[in-house]
Amino acid sequence: MALAGLALAAAAPVSWRWPTPPVPQDNPMTADKVALGRRLFYDADLSINGTMACSACHEQKRGFTDGNATRPGVHGDPGLRNVPGLANVAWRKRLTWADAALTRLEDQVGIPLFGDHPVEMGMKGQEAELGRRLGKDACYRAMFAKAFPEKKGRIDATAVSAALAAFERTMISFGSPYDHFLAGKESTLSPAARRGYAVFSARGCLSCHGGRDLTDDALHAILPGAPADRGLMEKTGLSADRDHFRTPSLRNVAVTGPYLHDGSAATMAEAIRRHAIPPATGPLTDVQMTGSQMADMTAFLDSLTDPAFLSDQRLSMPARACGRPL
Amino acid sequence: MTRYYVMLSIMMAVPASAQTMDQPAPVAQCPQLLPPPPEMASWAHPVSVDAAKDARGLAAAGISVDQAVRATLKGTGDIQYITRPEKPGGSVSYGGMFGFVVKEAGTYRVALGSGAWIDILRGKKAIASAGHGHGPACSGIRKMVDFALKPGRYTLQIAANGDATLPLLVARAR
Repeated sequence: MALAGLALAAAAPVSWRWPTPPVPQDNPMTADKVALGRRLFYDADLSINGTMACSACHEQKRGFTDGNATRPGVHGDPGLRNVPGLANVAWRKRLTWADAALTRLEDQVGIPLFGDHPVEMGMKGQEAELGRRLGKDACYRAMFAKAFPEKKGRIDATAVSAALAAFERTMISFGSPYDHFLAGKESTLSPAARRGYAVFSARGCLSCHGGRDLTDDALHAILPGAPADRGLMEKTGLSADRDHFRTPSLRNVAVTGPYLHDGSAATMAEAIRRHAIPPATGPLTDVQMTGSQMADMTAFLDSLTDPAFLSDQRLSMPARACGRPL
Repeated sequence: MTRYYVMLSIMMAVPASAQTMDQPAPVAQCPQLLPPPPEMASWAHPVSVDAAKDARGLAAAGISVDQAVRATLKGTGDIQYITRPEKPGGSVSYGGMFGFVVKEAGTYRVALGSGAWIDILRGKKAIASAGHGHGPACSGIRKMVDFALKPGRYTLQIAANGDATLPLLVARAR
């Protein structure tokens, strides 16, 4: 039964197979768990006043980002960081923008739900309310019982997190023109995109945005930081970690703007230009480029969009549960 | 007039039904509410209207263009929306529906005192928004969404509001 959920959600837009994402032994994939996680992902009852679901910030059509620089929480508290996309999040070795120790999706769920820096969904101290609220719904009771038979239907924050993590592991995106190009269908990448890839490679972008998901999953300092956000230093207290943020995956990057950890770059071109690192501190020493080079680079980044992923009904808000309309 | 241009500058042209909630002006930086721009002057003088919980109740939940409303909403669990909102609220949230009539084609701006989700329906079909943004600083308007509308009868759906009451206004953008 393990990995059944992945098999359910992993459409095969291209002819080759991708590796199986890592799945924790204590949270095996099942179709029932994924179905529950999908419903929970779109349910605003996961926020204290019922106004914010996970999907409020993670919109499928935007690669599971929200189009804002940052977003206020349920009480209006200002957001701190830009919403990251979720394509292939199952493979991310580190989660969130600046916490090298956060490596499990099950643990990340607590950041928006129960976190207070900043307050997002506002459920801190309301774990019992979460179970009580969801438990009033007979369909949820049935879904939790099927998804977690070992818990005998108990609805709690642990089960909610496990189900959400299982659903997120089905957010698999390997259908972009770039993927098809890598699979041998060279015609899927336009000449401009190919030239852009050459610029991308020559300028050292691959040193951080390399690999299958165009990220090294590491934390780097590429920008002088704003006083309000010291990046990894906020977790470690080490001044050497100041302004270090995780390299974001570039999958679906064309639809996930605005960019950078604080959403301060409105366009891809602006984000690229702000990778101007002094030579002594990093491999990216020159991001100045001509207009045509930037156009080619943008064409390449456009080729990382997976349209099927952005509209895959298996990842969208469910219309029914337990055989009835929601 | 200056304020009018400020308001225009914070509206962003976006495609389709994009409707986001970027940072509003922090309330803490507003020692007092400032008057809204002239075309939204009624924001300071709302009338009370109860939201409809289903299509049959729309006749009693009419609102007028350019007249602000202090809306009393329904519990989400009691509402039968005409069209399921893209972001439905949870069971503890509030929402409802209102009917309004457009007499002249043009751009109409829906202003809210919260970040609730809104849909404008023609029949059962949601109209794509033409732009969105947050309200003028310290005006009490948190969110504004523009729609290009033709003459006719429309339904305004409100979903995922945190409170049982909501200031709102449908204004002709001039």
